[in-house]
Amino acid sequence: MEQHTHENVQVQKNWYDKSYKLLLLVPLVLFLGSLIYLYGFYTQNGDIFYKDVSITGGTTITVFSSADIVALEESLRTQFPDLTVRSMTDIRTGAQHGFFVETSASVDEIKGALERYLGFVLSTENSSIEFTGATLSTSFYNQLRIAVIASFILMAIVVFIIFRTPIRSLSIIIAGLADIIMTIVVIDMLGIRLSTAGIVALLMLIGYSVDADIMLTTRVVKDKEGSINHRIWGAFKTGMTMTLTAIAAIGIALLFTHSLSPILSQMFTIILIGLCFDIFNCWVTNASLLKWYAEAKKTL
Amino acid sequence: MKMGWRLWVLIIAIVFSILAIRPSFESGVLVKSVEPDSPAFQEGLRQGAHIIEVNGQAIEQVSDYARALGDNNSQIAPSRIEIKTEDADFVFFTNESLGLTVQNKPRTRLKSGLDIQGGARALVRPEQNISDAQLSDLIAVSNNRFNVFGISDVKIRGVKDLQGNKFMLIEVAGASPSDLENLVAKQGKFEARIGNETVFVGGNEDISSVCRNDATCAGVTGCFPSQSGGYICNFAFTLYLSPDAAKHHAEITEKIEIDYVTGGQYLKGNLTLVLDDKIVDTLLISKDLKGRETTQISIQGSGSGVTQEEALADARASMHKLQTVLITGSLPHKLEIVKLDTISPSLGGKFVYILLLAGMAAIVVVSIIVFIRYRKIKESLAVLVTSFSEIIIILGVAALIGWNLDLPAIAGILATIGTGVDQQIIILDEARRARTASMRERMKRAIFVVMSAYATALVSLLPLYWAGAGLFKGFAITTIIGITAGVLISRPAFAEMIRKIEE
Repeated sequence: MEQHTHENVQVQKNWYDKSYKLLLLVPLVLFLGSLIYLYGFYTQNGDIFYKDVSITGGTTITVFSSADIVALEESLRTQFPDLTVRSMTDIRTGAQHGFFVETSASVDEIKGALERYLGFVLSTENSSIEFTGATLSTSFYNQLRIAVIASFILMAIVVFIIFRTPIRSLSIIIAGLADIIMTIVVIDMLGIRLSTAGIVALLMLIGYSVDADIMLTTRVVKDKEGSINHRIWGAFKTGMTMTLTAIAAIGIALLFTHSLSPILSQMFTIILIGLCFDIFNCWVTNASLLKWYAEAKKTL
Repeated sequence: MKMGWRLWVLIIAIVFSILAIRPSFESGVLVKSVEPDSPAFQEGLRQGAHIIEVNGQAIEQVSDYARALGDNNSQIAPSRIEIKTEDADFVFFTNESLGLTVQNKPRTRLKSGLDIQGGARALVRPEQNISDAQLSDLIAVSNNRFNVFGISDVKIRGVKDLQGNKFMLIEVAGASPSDLENLVAKQGKFEARIGNETVFVGGNEDISSVCRNDATCAGVTGCFPSQSGGYICNFAFTLYLSPDAAKHHAEITEKIEIDYVTGGQYLKGNLTLVLDDKIVDTLLISKDLKGRETTQISIQGSGSGVTQEEALADARASMHKLQTVLITGSLPHKLEIVKLDTISPSLGGKFVYILLLAGMAAIVVVSIIVFIRYRKIKESLAVLVTSFSEIIIILGVAALIGWNLDLPAIAGILATIGTGVDQQIIILDEARRARTASMRERMKRAIFVVMSAYATALVSLLPLYWAGAGLFKGFAITTIIGITAGVLISRPAFAEMIRKIEE
C-alpha cells in the first residue's frame, strides 16, 4: 500500500512540479469569468442573483392538494405574471400531495384567486400561508448582506490569526471567496431564486469552505517530513475523503427534503454546490498557491 | 481496557442529554389552556390536565378528542358532555364552547418550531418610532388582549434588528386563530358616541366589566333569514360602566330631547358604537335613560352568513371580538403587519419523521464511505457512534434551554453532521499516517486543525444572531451548540477511541 502511494507521488511530482503555476490559470480564468458573469447579471437584473418573495416581499402559499399544477399555473398566470408553482411529492411514492405557490401579490389577492380556482376555502387544515411585507424583506435582505460580509471578514481575521503569514492566509481566504462567488454563478445559471434561507446557506458555506484549506495549509506548514508534493498529496487524500463524506451527508439531506420543504431544499443545494467548488478551489487554487509560496521561499 | 476521561465525558454528556430530552411513550391529550370564565374553567378543569375519556370514548390523540366532541360548539341547544381526566370527572351541560384547547401529549421535551408544528407568527411594526418603554407597554396590552380573547399559548416579545427598528414578534403555537390579523394589528379603538360627543371608550377606565360566557347577560338573541338571502344572527351583551362614565352618559342624555315622531319611546340622538373608525352598530336610547346615571348598557350587534350555522358562528365571533376590545381598550399605537405566517399543523409529524430518516441515512452512508476508504470496521463504527452522540447532545442542549427547533435549525443540525465527520476524518487520518511523530504529537496536530476549523465556523455564524429581527437566531444557536459540543466533547472522545483502536 505504502509503496503504491509512493509511486503515485513520483508520477504526480513531475507533472505537478512543471505545471502547478500553469494550473493556477484555470481558477484565475474561472474566477475572473465568474466576476464578469456576475457583473453582467447585475447590470441586467439589478442584483447578483434572482430573489424570491422572502427577499422582495410577497406571499407563499402551500396547499395540500393533488390539483394539477400545470393547469393551475396557466390559469392564474394572466392575473399574476410573476407566479411560480412547485409540486410537493411523497418521497417514497412520488405522488403529489401538495404544491407551493409564490407571488409578489398580497395574501388576499392570491388566496382569493386560488380558492376560486380550487373550489374550496383555504384554512389552516389544508394550507400554510406566509406573507412578508416589501419593506421588511428589503431590510432583512440588507441585514443579511451585511451579515454575509461581516461573516467573511471575521473568518478572514481568524485565518490570519491562525496562520500569521499573509500569503498563506490570503491563499485560504481567496479559495473561500472563490467558492462563494462560483457558487453564486451556478445558482444564477440554474435559475434558482434565492430566499433568505439561501443567503443563510451561503453564510454557512463561508465557515465550512475553509475547513479543507486549513487542513491542507497546516499539513504543508507544520509537517517536517517529506517533500511539499508529498505533504500536499497526503493532505489531498484526507481532504477528498472529508469533502466527499460531507457531500454525501448533504446530498442525502437534499434528497430527503427536496420535495418537502423549499427552504431546506435550497439551503442544501447551495451547500452542495459550494462543497463541489471547495474541491476545486482547495486542491487547485489553494494548493498551487501554497506550493508557489513554499518554492519561492526555498529559492530565497 | 481502561477508559480515559474523554470517553467518560462523552458518555456523561449523552446520559444528561437523554435525560433532558426525556422521551416518553405514553399517548393522550393534555389541556393546553383554559379560557378564563369558560364552562371548563368554572368546573375546575385546569391547564396540564390529562384527558382520558370524552363521553365514554377513549382519547388517544387530538383527533379523537375532536371527534368525541363532535361539532358541539355549533349547536344551539345545550347538550351533556362528560370529560374524564386522570384525576377527576367533569360533567358539562352547555351549548357554549367549553373554552379548552388541547394538544397531544408530547413524546419528548423537545420543542419544534412553528414552521414544523404549525401555528402563526406575526411580526408587527408600530407606524411611528417608539421607545423601549413604549414597546414594552404595547407588548403588555397585546398580551392582555390575547389572554382576554382566550389564546393563552401565545408568546409576544420585542425584537430589534441590526438597523435598530423595533418590532413586536407574536407567536401562536398549534392551530392559529382565523382572525389573528385583526387581533394583532387592529388598534381596537372603541368609542360610543352620541352625536359628536364621546360617551365612553374601551378599556378599564370607562368600563368596569363586560358580561361574557354567561347566558343570562350575553349571547345570541335570535337568527332570521335576511332579505338579501342568507341569515343574520343578532347578539347582545351587557356592559357595566364605571361611575364616572355613567355620570358622563347622564350629562349627555340629559340634553337630548325625546323623539315624539316615533311614538315617544326613544330619544332623538342615537348611541353609535365605533370600532377603529367603523360604525359597528347604532342603538336607540330609551326615553327612561334620559339624564339617568345608568351603569348597565346593553351592547348589540349582528353576524351574517350563508347558512344559519355560519351566521351564528359569525355573530359569536363578532361578539367575542367586541368584548375583547371593550375589556382591554385600544392598543397605544397604530400597527402595521410586516410579516404574517400561518403554518398548517398537518405536515408536522411527516416533517419530523422524514428529517429523522434523513439524519440517520446521512450518518450511515458517511460511515460506509469511511469503511470503504479505510477498510476498518472499528473506525467506521467509531464514526457512527460519534455522529449519533453529537446529534443526541445537540438535541439534549436544545431541550435543556427550551429551544424551538425550526427548519433552519434542523438544516444546521444536518450540516453539522457533515462537518463533524470532516473533523473526525482529520483525526482518523492523522492517527494513521507515517509514524515518525508520536501519537500524542499527531493528535495534537489534528486537534489544531479541528480547533481552527471550529473557530472560523463559529465566527462566521455570529453575525446571523443579530440579523433579520432574530428570525435566524434558531439556526445560529443550534449550529453553534452543535459545533461547540463537537469540539469540546465528541471530538476529544473520538480521538481517544481512535488512539485506543490504532495503538
